[in-house]
Amino acid sequence: MSAYTVLRDDFRNARRSSVVLGVIGVFTVLTALVFVSEIDIYDHAYRTLFDVTMLVGLVFPLFVAPLTYLSIAGDRSGGAMKYVLGLPNSRFEYFVGKFVSRAGVAVAAILVAVFVGFVVAAATFTNGADPVRFLAFAAVSVLYALAMVSVFVAISASTASRSRAMFGVFGSYFVLVPFMFGFLPVLSLGTLVDAVSSLLGVTVSGETRELITMLSPATAYLQSTELVFRGVFDQYEAFGMFSPGSDNLARQAWFTVLVMVAWTVGAFGAGYAKFRASELG
Amino acid sequence: MAAIDTDGLTRRFGEFVAVEDLSMTVEEGEVFGFLGPNGAGKSTTINVLLGFLDPSEGSATILGHDVTTDSRAIRERIGLLPEGYDVYENLTGREHVVSAIETKDADDDPDAIIDRVGLDPEDARRPAGDYSKGMQQRLALGVALVDDPDLLILDEPSSGLDPSGIKRLRRIVETEVERGATVFFSSHVLDEVEKVCDRVGIMQDGELVTVDTVDRLRTELDVESVVEAQVDRVPDRLTLDDVEGVTDVAVDGTTVRVRCARPRAKMRALRRLDDAATVADVTIEDASLEALFEEYTASGERGDGDGAAAAPDEPTQAPVADGGGDRR
Repeated sequence: MSAYTVLRDDFRNARRSSVVLGVIGVFTVLTALVFVSEIDIYDHAYRTLFDVTMLVGLVFPLFVAPLTYLSIAGDRSGGAMKYVLGLPNSRFEYFVGKFVSRAGVAVAAILVAVFVGFVVAAATFTNGADPVRFLAFAAVSVLYALAMVSVFVAISASTASRSRAMFGVFGSYFVLVPFMFGFLPVLSLGTLVDAVSSLLGVTVSGETRELITMLSPATAYLQSTELVFRGVFDQYEAFGMFSPGSDNLARQAWFTVLVMVAWTVGAFGAGYAKFRASELG
Repeated sequence: MAAIDTDGLTRRFGEFVAVEDLSMTVEEGEVFGFLGPNGAGKSTTINVLLGFLDPSEGSATILGHDVTTDSRAIRERIGLLPEGYDVYENLTGREHVVSAIETKDADDDPDAIIDRVGLDPEDARRPAGDYSKGMQQRLALGVALVDDPDLLILDEPSSGLDPSGIKRLRRIVETEVERGATVFFSSHVLDEVEKVCDRVGIMQDGELVTVDTVDRLRTELDVESVVEAQVDRVPDRLTLDDVEGVTDVAVDGTTVRVRCARPRAKMRALRRLDDAATVADVTIEDASLEALFEEYTASGERGDGDGAAAAPDEPTQAPVADGGGDRR
């Protein structure tokens, strides 16, 4: 019961600030803009969904970061935590309440954005919009949002300093998203793996290299959207990044989903363990 | 069963010893003043008692529960007004109280609590982030009072309160004690502690240097206040030395400085002075906690090596009496 009170208070507090409105509103507008700007370019709304996966994968964590980095570190450095934990709330209830509240906002942002995108697409695209594809897209995007919220809340729970929380959250964004995904070839995990393997004189197979980069929630997310485009891979050149039928572990949809779930559960567990052992004086 | 019982409680931060070998017992039903200058280890002690910090050594129980293993059971039975406390800035004061009632599974009326701590009902429906320090302090006191706790832990409760708030706080403490609660009252303001507390423990540099009743402390330590009066002219035959409690009288031009060992002597001396001359202005420097500590270390600890916290050559500062800082 008291986790619910923590959750409700935290959510209410966030809702009345501009953070929630900012995250949900701006992200929805961006998503809608992608659809609007591609009305005359593609006939199929799912092709635009493919572009939105990039928006979600690379940009959405930057919306989640300000939403989450102070979730626990802010309470701890400011003193609101003394109000909550001076009452008979356990640290677990507090942690769960905070996580669910922030995750709720992130998930709401995804759902609202996808819904608005769907409405725009259904009304304007030549071939309308397929609700099943949009639902599948929403589902994997929610998994990704949960993984990122979990990582960021865990970082927030492991420090009492606002600046450290900020550096931690943005640092983890850089490592997990652009670095592991390989957005910048000069600063990417793939390049690093190549460099280390040639230094050690070993050969890393393409499959292993792919598997290593797939351990990032962002890479896993982008790969998991294969579920959205099943049956239409031949329609657009961009879908060539998916290789349906591959028996490579990194290319299996279940594996990518598992990676995101593992990040959610793992970061949650590690964050709580750190928080439970921490001193709050 | 004791309300608070600590045994050899020690807390270090690296090399720094914040609380050292603290053994004290607060009996049920008493108002215990926990006194000491800033940095003496009071808040660290409270943080250990609440389970926010772990003790480095020793143990402590509250209402029979171990503070390290049974923190939640403790927090169900205590009311806490912590130091360095903050509110959820976008929640109203009333919502804070309501959440506390929910969390404690209590059936209090939030509006009655808000009224009791003197928070305006309209203010109680505004975001607590807009509150002044005094209003936040009233709110925190309200949260602490939820569910009629068996033990109230108040850390610098009068900080930010105006005189009427301080008076109200004192009344609430009295009512709570009549109800049967124990009050643990931490403060650096001697004045306020002596008005409400039965016994006082004095912390200094992490150590509990003494535990005694307030009266005994005052008498034993002979702490002085200074009344400084500006008069139109100093009467030729001014006799104040015979006023009970006056220890010294000094005249400098038209300024008369009267040192008083007892609080009551101040008014007596002033009356006597007013009868003999026209008093234009008066300032009173009350005995500061620092002065009390100096007294204490001078009378009790001299010669034992580290009792050198008092600096005899420095003029005694009286933050407690200047009306500034936390007391407003």
